[in-house]
Amino acid sequence: MMGSLIPHIVIWPLLLAGMLQTPRLRTLALRLSPWATFPALLTALFASHHEVIKLPWLLLGSEWGMDLTGRALLLLTGLLWGLACWHSRYHLPPTQQASFFSWFHLALAGNIGLIVSLDMLSFYLFFTLMSLASYGLVVHTRSERACYAGKCYLIFVILGEAALFAALLLVASTCSTLSFEAARPLLVQSEWLDTILLLAWIGFGIKVGTIGLHVWLPLAHPVAPPPASAVLSGIMLKAGLLGWLRLLPLGEATLESWGEWWMVLGLLAAFCAVLIGLTQRDAKTLLAYSSISQMGLLTAAVGLGLILPHAWPQILTTILIYSLHHGFAKGALFLGTSMLMHTHPISRKWLLAGVALPALSLVGAPLTSGWLAKSLLKTQAMHAPDHWEILWQNLLPASAVATALLMARFMLLAIRVKPDETLPIPAHIHSVPWAILLLLVAIMPLATNWLGDFEISLSLIINSLWPLMFAGLLFHFFYRQAIRDTPLNQRIANLAIPPGDMLAWYEHSIRITSARLHHLLDRKLPCWLQKTRHMLLRKLDLSAWSAHLDRAEKLLCHWPVALCGLILLGIILTRLIPLANQKLI
Amino acid sequence: MITQSWLPLLVLLTSLLSGLIIFTLPEKSVRTRTTLNLLAAFSKVGLVSWMIWHIYQGQHYQIRIHFLPNIDLVLQMDPLAVLFVGLSAVLWLTTTFYAIGYLEGSPHRSRFFGFFSLCVAATAGVAMAGNLFTFLIFYELLTLTAYPLIVHRGTEAARKAGQTYLVYTVGGGVLLLTGTAWLHTLTGTLDFTPQGFVQQLPSELHPQLIVIFILLIMGVGVKATLVPLHGWLPQAMVAPAPVSALLHAVAVVKAGVFGIVRVLYNVYGIDFAAALGITFPLMVLAAITIIYSSLRALTQDDLKRRLAFSTVSQVSYITLGVALAGPISAIGGLVHLVHQGLMKITLFFCAGNIAETLGIHKISEMKGVGRRMPLTMTAFTLTALGMIGVPPIAGFISKWYLGMGALQSGHAWVIGVLIVSTLLNAAYFLPILYTAWFDQPDTEQTAHPETSHLLLWPPVITALLSLAAGLFAALPYTPLEWARFIVSFEFLQR
Repeated sequence: MMGSLIPHIVIWPLLLAGMLQTPRLRTLALRLSPWATFPALLTALFASHHEVIKLPWLLLGSEWGMDLTGRALLLLTGLLWGLACWHSRYHLPPTQQASFFSWFHLALAGNIGLIVSLDMLSFYLFFTLMSLASYGLVVHTRSERACYAGKCYLIFVILGEAALFAALLLVASTCSTLSFEAARPLLVQSEWLDTILLLAWIGFGIKVGTIGLHVWLPLAHPVAPPPASAVLSGIMLKAGLLGWLRLLPLGEATLESWGEWWMVLGLLAAFCAVLIGLTQRDAKTLLAYSSISQMGLLTAAVGLGLILPHAWPQILTTILIYSLHHGFAKGALFLGTSMLMHTHPISRKWLLAGVALPALSLVGAPLTSGWLAKSLLKTQAMHAPDHWEILWQNLLPASAVATALLMARFMLLAIRVKPDETLPIPAHIHSVPWAILLLLVAIMPLATNWLGDFEISLSLIINSLWPLMFAGLLFHFFYRQAIRDTPLNQRIANLAIPPGDMLAWYEHSIRITSARLHHLLDRKLPCWLQKTRHMLLRKLDLSAWSAHLDRAEKLLCHWPVALCGLILLGIILTRLIPLANQKLI
Repeated sequence: MITQSWLPLLVLLTSLLSGLIIFTLPEKSVRTRTTLNLLAAFSKVGLVSWMIWHIYQGQHYQIRIHFLPNIDLVLQMDPLAVLFVGLSAVLWLTTTFYAIGYLEGSPHRSRFFGFFSLCVAATAGVAMAGNLFTFLIFYELLTLTAYPLIVHRGTEAARKAGQTYLVYTVGGGVLLLTGTAWLHTLTGTLDFTPQGFVQQLPSELHPQLIVIFILLIMGVGVKATLVPLHGWLPQAMVAPAPVSALLHAVAVVKAGVFGIVRVLYNVYGIDFAAALGITFPLMVLAAITIIYSSLRALTQDDLKRRLAFSTVSQVSYITLGVALAGPISAIGGLVHLVHQGLMKITLFFCAGNIAETLGIHKISEMKGVGRRMPLTMTAFTLTALGMIGVPPIAGFISKWYLGMGALQSGHAWVIGVLIVSTLLNAAYFLPILYTAWFDQPDTEQTAHPETSHLLLWPPVITALLSLAAGLFAALPYTPLEWARFIVSFEFLQR
């Protein structure tokens, strides 16, 4: 019965996006927009387990359905996108809403679709739809900064799509199936396994924001309007994670070296992103870095799953709970920042207190969603082989301390956020979506009873309390130090890594390499080579090259050239014919 | 079973006769001409649909006319012919509508529509040719009937482009003729047969066969725009938009690629060709063409010129697919014959709309065009994304099959070519989309409707068709299913 609802949860936002393009239906569509995820939410809550429907008419035959992973992420999507829709309805200037919601609903349809897709092609279809439609959200303001961020975003999206295309081709070809579930066990025997894993790491890692491939993220997430940032950071990053969960042979075989690769990069991201994030001046950019760091932990958890196939079911549950927690908390933080940007009837103190809750939850403060997620992650890390277990047990609290420092910095920035007079003034009732998110962050630990073996104990609470206290002390000390006006402090205060950190390196290194190459070629080569090179350079200069080609192609258009060419060809062929005949005789 | 053998002839005559009648019509009798045009186009679509239905059930249509001793004119409808005839019938219909709207009020319309119909008739002949000789005849007819269309505007540039076109295609025709004659002396027959007819020749003749293959491929390669024989196509974009659309999507370029497919499958037989070692160089040439012309497309500012280089690149996908010599890649190549046609005709229709309505020819002038012509640009966007290979548009399906086929045939490097081509396609299509949708227009003006209905709806319909061809690829009677049907003949029935 509910199975028939699955296609509709994708079609409904698409329909809304379509309605927004028709002037007559626009008002209605805007009014219906907060309900865009309602069918998805219903499906997540009530669809029967392991519901699978076949759509043989779609692409090369598709398979949609619901499993545990899909249900958890659909729940997150339904709630977070829905609340973000609701929030945008009152917090965006009415003139911008039609264009904003067009992209928003398209991306939403993609997001829902990729969650319910159980086959590669429809997954790829919706993944692409979501990625491309989000471009419209990134460049929403059309400012110079947004356009630059959009360009970076798009370049990385296309690179990711290309890598993903190749990965899926290899999987589909070696396993001769389009279904993820059927392919997973077969993948291990594939001769292309390493290539596939590398491509999957690139293709989905770009979305997840794995270190090295993350540079678009701190640029793109903050420039979008806050509700869009909330879904970009809160849920769309998880699309990449979902891709890994669907594609990688998790729970099928032990892939030691790849697991370590995932873990090292994940843990590296967890710390590096915090360090870079601490130097940010903009609250939303800082939040983007926090997302990279949190996704780093999830990446590492995937790596753990690659090493420990037998513990995979528990690790999967942990990853899902962590994703839910991070989605809600990050969503609440972004929407909170948005609330702070408006002239609000609620007192700022209350708003800041509200923002502090998800911040504390990200740190893992006791009895918040983050506490639950982090405790579970710690439990899973116990299964890891010796040295990895020690590393995990030490790094997890350390990452909590790092996150705590980052969140403290965020609160300082949040206090400084000034209300923008030009934005619409919302009423009390319009804070409800944010309030619901805060509530979700707060009550998530209460949902533990369906986890079975997890129990709230005092030692767990104390264990999670000390990183927080330690970070508090550390921050207090540094803050006291920082108010003093010493040269060192000034230097620290001036330290700011531009958003997109390594992007500057990438651009710089491309520039440097070409400059070095020029230098090397200019100075170090013998004279005659220099001359040849200069001649070649003149020829290779792109514009000149293109002009040359144009000229060459024009030359091809002259009668004599064409005739001579044909005659020449004729001569060559007549030379060839006797050769061929000789063999004949 | 050979019955109703007159049907292929009838398909040919629908456009041939209407073309000849149109020549006699005075310039002013717009209504008669339009009615005749549409009647012919619709009846052709009807006939072809009727035949598709019956061929699917195993019916075979063939007509053989004695022409010279030992040489017959043969017209037949095998599944491969249906693929091409079906495409040309549908796109002829849409292009006729478009051309009526596009040329409204311009001079020499009788001449234009006359040659237009003849051109389509020649294309149908190329598609239905049952032997290499018939193929050659119609191929040359196509060369000649397309010339007046390219120079239709009569400007200096048009004449020059026409000249270039003639030099290339007539030259190619000569090579093709040589190859055909040579082959005839060796085999004594030229009839297309499902797994080729040259493999029975003794192995001493194989070197000659290789030379003949080169001749034939160079002959058809001119129209299929294999680098370095592609020079005429970017020049020919001076022709009116409907001509460019037809040239790039159906008639001339496709006839060339179709020739490659025929030579590989029905003259040499794909397995024999692979054994001779002639498919690999062709594959490499196609790969070079794909990359080279994509690079060239990057630097063009003229919209139609950029699209022309894109055609050069995309058409080579088809060559690549068949040259890979495996069933799956063959499906990819053959289905791209239709998919590329649907997508490219849309792009040219849209370019024509923008040029005709706003007078914009250059990409740098396209700022904010999306706001002024939303439907046109939506069609353009959809198909441009399809060209890049974004699902669910038709181009994705082609690319998927090509990639799968490359792996199946053990040429994994082809995936690299596909990926680079995807990136390059994105690099030259996405900036157009960005300029059109996200840049602020210089002047704020909107008009409803954005352009005349006859110009607006053909691209919208072909864009929807290319979307449907990808989205519902697995359904019966889609291009993909038909390509599978063809490949089952070539590969499995032995």
